Amino acid sequence: MNEREMCAAGRLHPGEFLKDKIPVFLLQASGMMALCVFLWLTGYGKGGCVLILICRGLAAVVWTLAEYRNRKQYFSQMGQVLDKVDQRFLLGELMPPSFRLEDRMYREMIRKSNKSVIERIRRMEGEQQEYREYIESWVHEIKAPITSIALMCENDRNEGPQRADDERIRRIALENQKVENAVDMVLYYARSDEVYKDYAIRETDLQAVAEEAVLKNKYYLIQNQMQVEVDCAPGTVYTDGKWILFILNQLILNSAQYRARENPHIWITAEKYGHGVRLAVKDNGAGIQKEELPRIFEKGFTGTNGRCQNDKATGMGLYLCRKLCGKLGIGIRAESEYGRGAEVILDFPVSSFVQGDTVKERDI
Amino acid sequence: MHILIVEDEPVIRQEMKLLLENALYQATALEEFEDVAAEVLDIAPDLVLLDVNLPGEAGFDVCAKIRSASDVPIIFVTSRTDSMDELTGLMKGGDDYITKPFQAPILLAHIAAVLKRTVREEKELLRIAHKDVELDVARGCLIFRGQDVELTKNELKILHYLFLNKGKIVSRRNLIDYLWDNQVFIDDNTLSVNMTRIRAKLEQAGVHEFITTKRGLGYFI
Repeated sequence: MNEREMCAAGRLHPGEFLKDKIPVFLLQASGMMALCVFLWLTGYGKGGCVLILICRGLAAVVWTLAEYRNRKQYFSQMGQVLDKVDQRFLLGELMPPSFRLEDRMYREMIRKSNKSVIERIRRMEGEQQEYREYIESWVHEIKAPITSIALMCENDRNEGPQRADDERIRRIALENQKVENAVDMVLYYARSDEVYKDYAIRETDLQAVAEEAVLKNKYYLIQNQMQVEVDCAPGTVYTDGKWILFILNQLILNSAQYRARENPHIWITAEKYGHGVRLAVKDNGAGIQKEELPRIFEKGFTGTNGRCQNDKATGMGLYLCRKLCGKLGIGIRAESEYGRGAEVILDFPVSSFVQGDTVKERDI
Repeated sequence: MHILIVEDEPVIRQEMKLLLENALYQATALEEFEDVAAEVLDIAPDLVLLDVNLPGEAGFDVCAKIRSASDVPIIFVTSRTDSMDELTGLMKGGDDYITKPFQAPILLAHIAAVLKRTVREEKELLRIAHKDVELDVARGCLIFRGQDVELTKNELKILHYLFLNKGKIVSRRNLIDYLWDNQVFIDDNTLSVNMTRIRAKLEQAGVHEFITTKRGLGYFI
């Protein structure tokens, strides 16, 4: 057993304890030997010397045992604290009291050192929080101009059936949509750790959400000659539509990115299974190689497709999808036949709590 | 239908007004935000689009004030995507909540849905006639000399747009845009296929040369 293991567990090993005491034993033993020799030389009886030795030895053994017990208890208490507390750096505050000077000194030192760690953690948490809040407020700020541009494009396009700069307006709208997608990605990344703070579970119509996601990418999809079929008939689930919209948006963008050369197609379908609803986003595009399939949801993973066809792949889209799905309790997995298309499947469980007719209203 | 826009960003305000007017609503935009609630009650619109972040009072408070005196439908329009905000909005008496940036068709759909829920709307034009052909949107068919021609969903949407723009040239791009806004997500080739089918159906019913193709420009009826 090495030292680290011993300390980590907070268990006092008797062998180690005795080893620690060797100098004291040696001092005691030599002291007693010297005393006996001195007494013997001054003419004290042999029996008396032996009796003194035995008594002194017994006293030493009892003292050592008592100390061992005391120390063992002290450290096991501390070990328990370490095991039970999730923030171990708080040990300094939680150490059991002890009358020993050493213990008190250590405690004071550990306390000081922990205090500086805690201060540092607080400061970093504060900075992170501030940064996140800044990102969120920035996202909200940038959304106003994005909205303006989108509306301007929409209105300009509506003005007349044929305008020379019609195509240009469409291209501006398309670029604007790309900006929006990128901004959304930032927002959801900043929030993905705190999903619990920002969701409202309600009855959500997957058909409407899917249609909105397709509509969001209208210009991009039309420009690339894509067809989309949305058929989510049994698609009422209890979840947060906003997050699902983000996830579907990512999946549609992926399908469009790796579309087939001819007749690119996306199918968004929903079906009931067991106790839930299964939503699938399927395409007939490039597909995913078998070896890469288990890794596509990893952060920063860009497969052969990502590297060859699109040097801007960030490997964030699917990673965020899986993360958000995890927080929302939705299962996500992908299937693919390389070269023939890919399919991402979302499993929405319907808990027994909302299965009955008691929860009909859309609000929580 | 009279819609009042309460939005402090001048560009968005102006464009929203234009969008609503294009969608055949009567739209007014507030320019001053001194006492929004009083202004709203004064103008008495059929629906209010209310921004949450206003220079003076917060939109939520404005909504509560309006609610104390009127039942006018209110849709919050905001760039904040917090669920708590949404909940607050609905608690304060808002009828709907839409986040920026929104898709124009989706904003219009939300407005239409809220109006339908709260105001008894006059019936939409469900039968449109052109030349001797009548399009029955409700039943999804064409009527020619008392004879019905059944249409599929895609064909109906295509013809609906052509009928709405009768006498004008409709470009393929605009037609596709319209179809996507109406949940028909098809590409150029499929549009051609559908067009051919419609023409065949028309020919079969005895309507000749109904849809004209203007090369490089689009379709025309």
